[in-house]
Amino acid sequence: MSDLDPVIGIDLGTTNSVVATVRDGVPRVIPNRSGQLLTPSIVAVAKNGKKLVGPLAKRQAITNAENTVFAAKRLIGRRWGSKEVEDARTVLPYRLVAGPEGNDVRVDLAGRVVSISEISALVLAELKADAEAWFGRPVKRAVVTVPAYFNDGQRQATRDAGKIAGLEVLRIINEPTSAALAYGFGKQMEKKVVVFDLGGGTFDVSILDIGKSVYDVVAVGGDTYLGGEDFDRRIMDWLTFGFAKENAGIDLRQDKMALQRLKDSAEKAKCELSGAPSASIHLPFLVAGADGKGALHLDKQLAREQLEELTKDLVERCIAVAEKTLKDAGVRPSQVGEVLLVGGMTRMPRVQKAVKEFFGREPCRGVHPEEVVALGAAIQAHALVEPSAKGEDVLLLDVTPQNLGLLVVGGYFQTVIPKNTTVPTNQTHLFTTVQDAQTSVRIAVLQGASERAIDNELLGEFILDGIRPARRGEVSIEVSFEISADGIVGVSARDVDTGQQQSITVTATSGLTEEELRRILDEQLDDLLERKATAGEFEEKRDRAQAIVQEMEALVPAVQEALERTRFGKDAVHKADGVLARVRAAIDARDVAALEREHEALDRTLQLFRGLAAQARLPQGK
Amino acid sequence: MSVDRYKGFVFSATDLSEDVDLEVERRKQILFADAHLARWTHWEVLDIPWNAACAAARAAYLDHVKVFHPDRYAGKRLGSYRARLERVFRRITEARDVLADEGKRAAYARATAPPEEFMRTEARKLEDERRAEERRARLARQNPLLSRAARVNELMQRGKAALAEHRFAQAANDLQLAQGMDPQNRELAALAAEARKKSSLAKATEHFRKGLEAEALGNAAGALAAFREALEADPTHTRSAAQAAKAAAQLGEVAVARSFADAALKAGPRSGIAHEALGLVLELEGDRKEAKKALERALELDPTLEDAKERLKKLRWGFLG
Repeated sequence: MSDLDPVIGIDLGTTNSVVATVRDGVPRVIPNRSGQLLTPSIVAVAKNGKKLVGPLAKRQAITNAENTVFAAKRLIGRRWGSKEVEDARTVLPYRLVAGPEGNDVRVDLAGRVVSISEISALVLAELKADAEAWFGRPVKRAVVTVPAYFNDGQRQATRDAGKIAGLEVLRIINEPTSAALAYGFGKQMEKKVVVFDLGGGTFDVSILDIGKSVYDVVAVGGDTYLGGEDFDRRIMDWLTFGFAKENAGIDLRQDKMALQRLKDSAEKAKCELSGAPSASIHLPFLVAGADGKGALHLDKQLAREQLEELTKDLVERCIAVAEKTLKDAGVRPSQVGEVLLVGGMTRMPRVQKAVKEFFGREPCRGVHPEEVVALGAAIQAHALVEPSAKGEDVLLLDVTPQNLGLLVVGGYFQTVIPKNTTVPTNQTHLFTTVQDAQTSVRIAVLQGASERAIDNELLGEFILDGIRPARRGEVSIEVSFEISADGIVGVSARDVDTGQQQSITVTATSGLTEEELRRILDEQLDDLLERKATAGEFEEKRDRAQAIVQEMEALVPAVQEALERTRFGKDAVHKADGVLARVRAAIDARDVAALEREHEALDRTLQLFRGLAAQARLPQGK
Repeated sequence: MSVDRYKGFVFSATDLSEDVDLEVERRKQILFADAHLARWTHWEVLDIPWNAACAAARAAYLDHVKVFHPDRYAGKRLGSYRARLERVFRRITEARDVLADEGKRAAYARATAPPEEFMRTEARKLEDERRAEERRARLARQNPLLSRAARVNELMQRGKAALAEHRFAQAANDLQLAQGMDPQNRELAALAAEARKKSSLAKATEHFRKGLEAEALGNAAGALAAFREALEADPTHTRSAAQAAKAAAQLGEVAVARSFADAALKAGPRSGIAHEALGLVLELEGDRKEAKKALERALELDPTLEDAKERLKKLRWGFLG
């Protein structure tokens, strides 16, 4: 059964995503249909209204910045009006709007308002399709990773994205844990491992105690708004300010296309500086000059030291988070048996140096920092589908990243499940009424680190009514909290005397409501049908083309014979070869339009071959 | 797991015959644990003796997790056993949270001590208290502390004043004395460290200045001695080390020069003059290629080094002359 139904692990990243699987006991990355291991997490609507995902979307990002959505992970499960979203609105070239309830974030993509979960779903669906192309059969189940520091809302929204993409999400696991899993796979070890995961948009630190194939997470910490994109932005700011100074105050940020080009070259320069002491940034014809003086160019050199100076505080922030997490875990840097670097940003020499100085040991860079997370997810997916009887499988014990609790009188936050508690877990808490004859109570569920409720993330609220009227303090209400292995929160409340019960899965405030999700799922089905029609069209064209190609290949010996005996130019064979190559490329790229174009040429060549082959046969027949 | 373990426990026939994908032995294990969760101590939950060490608790937890974590049975039909497994898993995790944490473990061990163990620790506690009381009385009788405290305070005030007036050597001396008499005082320890640091820096700077003077007068040996003194006062004084290397080189003492150049590089790996000194020494040692590299690095770090520039030029074109 399992042979027929492959499972995958997906690292849904801020800038790039990766899909992997375990085949014949070996975890491996699945290349996308363009042959690359990393698929850009980018979704766009092209000028002609076509939906583009991945490499194709990235390719046109510069010329179509307003309708190209990148870094959606930074917005997923976030609340409209939060600081993170406000920051994003000022720097992102695409348009953000509030959701219908006014509390989640949507994107206005070529006039259609889409939820962030849908954007991520498109990326997931692309990876799913890549995997299906690779396996040659449908893929339905996956493990998807999220930053360890993601709260319930962000996890929930990621899960929804999986659902929309038509995947059964077996488990949401934390990226650092996943990386550790890939690191420890197939090795026997007993040690404490720190995972330092600095990706495109998020930073995570996890401390694991690994032994007997059990990956026991002791503590996690992080910053969901610190990553490679912040480094890029520092370079962009440096470039724009420098440019404004040199060019009489021209603000590049006003020009979306220039901004996108700046972003691309900033990222490129940053990557280059990991290997070279300096990088040149050359952007000809960047903007039109003032009073029509012709185009202005940007030409700059950025030295590694300069970049390090520009981003010094970002690196310091990472180390501060690592320090705090170690303290939470009660682990001294000297007790750490290995430090794993994960995420593309850890290629930066300054980051590696800071890690080395803090832990007093050389960090482990043996693994591909961009691929390990997906590999770990694949390992976990495999273990969740085919647990071996002998019990040598890996087992993940993860923790909850933030305190979970309730709003209590006075605007305070009462923790019910403290952070770094092993999940799955549950906890009950008794509360009493605070007013005489109180018949209902509002229960607000929060997640965060502050003592003041308002500083924490509101996951949801619900009202328990039908409470027996009594003097204040006489009625007890029992609130049960549950956190699943995915880190997703469930809460229920019960009046101890009457047994009156209410429960919620906390989704309401961030992301999609149940109804909306259902509607999107239906729509997506339509969408899928539409795609199937074009897929069917492609299949038909491909089959036709392949039949011709096959016939031609069968004719080749006869044709060659004929050619040897006629004056027929070798030129014709070259041309035929060219047509064949183009057809094969079009089939590989699943490009219906190209197939259509080549079809006529293919037909003509076939006629020619048939004629030649007939000539070759004729004399023999006589 | 021995059969005796379940002695006296009656398994429900319906539970054992439920239509799920679990072996009978595994079912028994789960049912037995689930039935005892509320009654067992943390030790019993993890199946370890009372007062076992943290490491033992952790190892036992890992073994139990492998039996009771619901993920172990992913894809199998578990029926009513799913809820049982989850309950047991939470209970063993709770036991681990206490027993694998040294502080909590010790407190729990005291609270759950068997009666004879309890008597023994109580008796020991009484004995300890009596001894502590005696000790306090004895100290009170002798009490040199009072006079000592006054002396510490006086030294500290004097040290602070000296520090404020930049008489660092004096300050370091006073504060060091005071710290010796009162090693627990954090403020004092910090002050003393500060004074020591400043004092050695001042000393190093002074010797360094002397060294430069001697060098200006053409007294290479004197300069070397002064730089050496500066380094003794502050081993991280990069400039002294670099100058010492140069002076030693001038005196023809290549090995000495080399050790100073290395010291300079160690103290200031990003200091231009340190690399310059190394270049000088390497050239003396006859390694022109490495010398050139070191000088290039020096100029990259500090383009104002005129000597290095000269020397590098000579090295580059040396084959001509």
